[in-house]
Amino acid sequence: MKSDTFWRHATLWPALVLFALLTILPLLKLLALSFHDVEWVNREAVWEWVGLANYARLPQDNLLRAGALNTLIFAVVAVALQMLIGFILALLTTRVVRGRVFYRTVFILPILVPGIIIGAIWKLMYSYDFGVLNSLLLWLGLAPQDWLGDPDLALLSVIIVDVWHWTPFCFLLLLAGLESLPDDIFEAAKIDGATRWQQLRHITLPLMLPTIAVTFVFRMILAFKVFDEIYLLTGGGPGTSTEVISFTIYRRFFTEDQTGYGAAMSIAVIAVIAAGIIAATRATAGKGAKA
Amino acid sequence: MAFFTRQTKPLRTGLAASALALCASLATAAEVPITIVINQSPWFPGFQAVVEKYEEDTGNTVNLDVNPFAGSLEKQRTAVRAGESPFDILIMNAGFFVEFYTGGFMQPLTGIDADFALSEDIFTFDDSVCWDATAKTITCDGDGQLVSVPVNPFLPLLHYRSDLYEEHGLEVPTTWDQLYENAKVMHNPPRMYGISQRGQRGAFDVTFDVFPYILSHGGGVIADQKGGDYTVTINSPETLAGMETYLKLANDVGHPSTAGQTQTNVIQNMATGRAGHIQGVPAPAQFDDPKQSAVVGKVDYAVVPGTEEHGPAPGLGHWLAGIPRNVSDENKQAALAFLTWFQTDEAQHAYAEAGSPPVSKAVMTSDMADEEPYRYMRALAASIPTAQLTFTIPEASQVLAVTELRLNQAIGGELELKEALNMAAEEIAKVLSDAGYDAPMLDPLQ
Repeated sequence: MKSDTFWRHATLWPALVLFALLTILPLLKLLALSFHDVEWVNREAVWEWVGLANYARLPQDNLLRAGALNTLIFAVVAVALQMLIGFILALLTTRVVRGRVFYRTVFILPILVPGIIIGAIWKLMYSYDFGVLNSLLLWLGLAPQDWLGDPDLALLSVIIVDVWHWTPFCFLLLLAGLESLPDDIFEAAKIDGATRWQQLRHITLPLMLPTIAVTFVFRMILAFKVFDEIYLLTGGGPGTSTEVISFTIYRRFFTEDQTGYGAAMSIAVIAVIAAGIIAATRATAGKGAKA
Repeated sequence: MAFFTRQTKPLRTGLAASALALCASLATAAEVPITIVINQSPWFPGFQAVVEKYEEDTGNTVNLDVNPFAGSLEKQRTAVRAGESPFDILIMNAGFFVEFYTGGFMQPLTGIDADFALSEDIFTFDDSVCWDATAKTITCDGDGQLVSVPVNPFLPLLHYRSDLYEEHGLEVPTTWDQLYENAKVMHNPPRMYGISQRGQRGAFDVTFDVFPYILSHGGGVIADQKGGDYTVTINSPETLAGMETYLKLANDVGHPSTAGQTQTNVIQNMATGRAGHIQGVPAPAQFDDPKQSAVVGKVDYAVVPGTEEHGPAPGLGHWLAGIPRNVSDENKQAALAFLTWFQTDEAQHAYAEAGSPPVSKAVMTSDMADEEPYRYMRALAASIPTAQLTFTIPEASQVLAVTELRLNQAIGGELELKEALNMAAEEIAKVLSDAGYDAPMLDPLQ
């Protein structure tokens, strides 16, 4: 028995070592970098210890503040819409008998399209002069809109693209959850005279809560990391209207070559997201226990 | 078996012929293969064509690693900081080349071949090809050593619709006021915009496009980087006047989405006949190719306008080819062989014929300039002496991050112009003082 336990632990070690090498060591390196400024002199990297100075700069960074706010708005609005639409589509699809494979394939198509193609498609659709959306508005006798160039519209335009792109992800997970619900409970509810709305409100939603929570957390994590859509559609502009955290880090770290400061920004963002995930997981676990 | 033998005979013959061809090609290749890291710019197809010509003429092999603007910069940084660079030639932009010089990453070209010299016909673009490593300054005098060869004279020219100028009896503008009046005549949105300007923020986008406006009003970003005066001047009354001129054109006779316009959008607007004017870098092939353009033969070129007091003053956005220190001696020789060939009259002519502006003054002012496809050359040759280096400090990327954001915010209306310039001044002063420069500020604009 003792030998079994030993071997069970021993077989875990290779995976743990690999995990440490691939994840923890780069994070530690990033952490170390965040306490330094790096300058290149005669082809040599000169690391200057600056303590917490890079972290102290974070609250004063206007771009980071704008990025944090936009990321929050982007993540909450986009994910809420994706969850809602994904859930409605999943509910509708479970009831479809004929052609359900066709509908499911159509619904998941956007998730299969590479980001670069999505950027190109939507950039063309949003084009002020040549885009299909403005052509439609003009045909309806309405004024064309500057979808990506107007600071008041740009973030919404990017959110629409993200909703189009990622709703299938929510749809797939929620559909899997819906199809795994036991039929006998619904049959019993029907016999008791429960309406469709009552079934949804009192059976489907409570039973789906764990699936909804997992899908929501997955999507929120991905939404906080949004980069490609912003990079391709607006470059963070106009002004700071579509600036998001990952783009700010990219600028500071790579374009401006402020590696120490960029590392501090990355560590801070990782810490905030990790705290958010822990809080969300605990809240979900609490609700699950109550349910 | 007989079938197999019969069927493989042509195949074997083909293989033998290919092997012979390969041997012949190897025999003529005098240099090892090299790789050039370059960005995707409007002039890139011309460069690609001239590289192919080099390969045909010499038998040498040149691989091109093509990237977006910012991606190319990142690859170059990573390459020179590695043990051995995967790239033998870096195509560096005017905004960022100094950081490669300052870091000691570039190989002085005479260190590879003591006899190597820049052809007298090639523009030096304000000595930006030379670096004095001791004084840490750009100069071809004294201890300044040749570290790069220009590959593209990327500076803005005024592109205008010559057919509409003729139709309306307009004269080519030399001042912004004249340009405004001409653009007003053509402005008929959404069918035609008087002018289309690039206002989107990027790595060196909107800043590059406003330089002609602010420099020609006597303004700037930093007073005199080469001369050691780091006074921040982006909120000077002169810079303000330049930006007001830019905004007047954008708001009255420009595209309604100037803050969201990229270089591609601006070129598209001209190519589709929706813009009366653009300020663009010369890449004439794209407007004279019927497959890409609705305005073939209808676009002409002039020096960008200026003010009566200061004249025209475009910013230099040229590209320089340098060889990193961390490549093998064999590869350095091969890279230098390409740069030597690139400077020749033959190569420069071929470069122009392929649709990219040359860097040779001799070619730019030759009879070629009188031919229709090369009508931009005279304007370009006249522009180069008026052009100014934009950044000569290694912290340019951080300064640009500030200017790209604040200028874009002013253009898009997110910030009031004076507020944007004052904020930019404070942020640039901080970047400079953190880097150890004495960077005084002007009084804020009221």
